[in-house]
Amino acid sequence: MPPVIDARDLTKRYGSVLAVDRACFSIEPGRIVGLIGPNGAGKTSILRAVLGLTRYEGNLRVLGRDPWRERAALMREAAFIPDVAVLPGWLRIDRAVDFVAAIHPHFRRERCRAMLAKTQIPLDRRVRELSKGLRTQVHLALAMGIDARLLVLDEPTIGLDLLARRAFYDALVEDFMDESRTILVTTHQVEEVEKLLTDVLFVNRGRIVLDGPIESLARRYAALSVDPARLAEARALGPFYERRTPGRTVLYYEDADRAALAALGDLQVPDVADLFVAKLSGGA
Amino acid sequence: MTRFLWLIRRELWEYRAAWILPAVTGVLLVLAASFGHVDVDIAGVRPGPSALGGALLFGFGIVFLFAMLAYSSWYLLDCLNADRRDRSILFWKSLPIGDAQTVLAKLATGLIAIPLVYFAAADVTTLAIAFIVSLRARAWIGTALWHPEQWLQLQALWCYLILTLAIWLLPVAGWLLLVSASVRRATVLWSLLPPVAAVWAERVFLGTNWVGRILVNRLVDGYPATAFHDLSGSLLGALGFPGASRTAVPASVWELLAPARFLAAPATWIGVGAGVVLVGAAIRLRARNVDP
Repeated sequence: MPPVIDARDLTKRYGSVLAVDRACFSIEPGRIVGLIGPNGAGKTSILRAVLGLTRYEGNLRVLGRDPWRERAALMREAAFIPDVAVLPGWLRIDRAVDFVAAIHPHFRRERCRAMLAKTQIPLDRRVRELSKGLRTQVHLALAMGIDARLLVLDEPTIGLDLLARRAFYDALVEDFMDESRTILVTTHQVEEVEKLLTDVLFVNRGRIVLDGPIESLARRYAALSVDPARLAEARALGPFYERRTPGRTVLYYEDADRAALAALGDLQVPDVADLFVAKLSGGA
Repeated sequence: MTRFLWLIRRELWEYRAAWILPAVTGVLLVLAASFGHVDVDIAGVRPGPSALGGALLFGFGIVFLFAMLAYSSWYLLDCLNADRRDRSILFWKSLPIGDAQTVLAKLATGLIAIPLVYFAAADVTTLAIAFIVSLRARAWIGTALWHPEQWLQLQALWCYLILTLAIWLLPVAGWLLLVSASVRRATVLWSLLPPVAAVWAERVFLGTNWVGRILVNRLVDGYPATAFHDLSGSLLGALGFPGASRTAVPASVWELLAPARFLAAPATWIGVGAGVVLVGAAIRLRARNVDP
C-alpha cells in the first residue's frame, strides 16, 4: 500500500522565519503516529501543510493527493480536530450534525449521534452555551462520525479533564482505529499518548530529529543507569545525553554495544517521554 | 445543487438577522397601519385611486429594498471575516468544501437569498397592510389598495430588481468579499478607505474625477438609468406631483422595465467583468486565510 503521508523536503517559511526545515517523513496506513515536539517546533505548520491549509515548499502527498491544490477532495477522506475549540458559537448541535451529514459523503450520522448521546449534551443547544470540554466532545463526535482514512488531531485533549481524556483515547482506539486507518496526533504531553502510539516523529526547530516505530526505538536506544564509580567508563561509550538521579547517573545511547553497556550497570529501554527530553536536550 | 443550497442555508443559520430584520420591519409597518392615522394628502394633491395603490405598494417596497441593500452589504463584508475572528474557519476548512464553493455560496446568499427573504417579507407586509387599511380607512383608499393586477406587477418588479441588481452590483459585492477576506478587522473602514483615497488622490494629482464618477454611477444613478425607463419621472407623475409630466405616468410596471437596454449596456458587462475578477481574488485569498 502507498504511504498515507509522504513528505520530501517539506519546508514552510513565514517571512524570514523557517517554521519547517526540509522535513522528510513517510506514514504508512494503520499507524498511530505521534508528532511530538516543544511549543514552536513546527508541529502545527506540518499539520496545516498536510491538511492543505497552508502553502509550502517541497513535495507532499497525502492520501495520494496534493493537499494545497486538492484540499476539498482530500477532506472527503480525512478529518481534523485542531488545538482550540473552533466550532462556531452560533451553531446548534443538531444542525451541525445535519450540515455535516448533508455535505460529507462519508459521514455516519448514527455513529455521531451515538457518541453525542454518551455526552448527554442536549442537541438543541448552541455551541456557545457549552463549556470548553463539552465543545471539544461535540467536535470529536462530529469528527468520529466521518469515515476517514486519516484522522489528524492537534493537541486534541487540551482543556479536557482526566476522565474525558481517557474516554477520548479509548473511543479513538475502540471505535475508530483499524488497520486501514491512520491517526496523526500532535501533543506535548507525551505520557498521555505514549501507550497508544505505534510510531513517533520528534520535531525540533522545524526539523525531524527522530522518526520510527516504537519497537525500533527499543532496538536503537538504550538507557544505562550507573554508579558514580563507573561513570567514566560509561561516558567513554559515547552517550548522547546524561541525566543525574539521586546517587546515580542515567546515560542515553543510540546504536551502542548492548553487551558492553550491560556490564556497566542497569540497562533499560527508555520510554518515549525520556527519549524525547534526551533527544531534544542532547542529540538534536 | 443540494450541497449549494445547504451552504446557503448555513449562512442563514449564522446570519439570523437576515430574516429577523425584515420580519421586525414588517411587523412595525403593520402596527403603524393598524394604529396610525391613515390619510393621503400630498401637497394638496389627491391622486387617482389606482395610482395611489401602486404608490403605496411601491413605497413599502422601497423601504424593504433599502433595508435589504444595507443588510446585504454588511453581510458580504462580514461573511468571510467572522469565521476568521472566532477561528471557526478551521472547522469549515476541515470539511470537503472548496474555497470557490464557499465564496460563491456567500455571494449567492448576499445577492439572491437575502433579497428573496426581504421580497417575501415585503409581500406579506403589504398584503397585511392593504387588508388592515381597507378595513380602517375611507372606502376609496381601501378599494384603491386592492388591485390584483398591481399585486402581480409588484412581484414582477421585485424579481426584475433582484436579478438586475445582482448583475449590476456584482463588482460591489466582489469588492466587499475581497475586503472581508483580506483584512482582520475594521472591515467597514477598509471597504470605504481605498475608494475614498483613490478619488482624493485623483483630484489632487490629476485634477480629474473619473473614479468618483464611476463610483457614483455604479452606486447611485447608473442603475435606475440603465434598468428602467424614466423611473423618477414616472414615480412623481404617478403620485400626481404638479411639476411632473403626466405623460410619463406608466399604465403598468411593464412600461418601466428596460431589460433589453440593461443587457445591452456596456456598463452592465464591464461591471460583471470587474465583479468576476474581484470574486476570483476573494477566492484566492480565502484559500490562504488560515495563515497568520
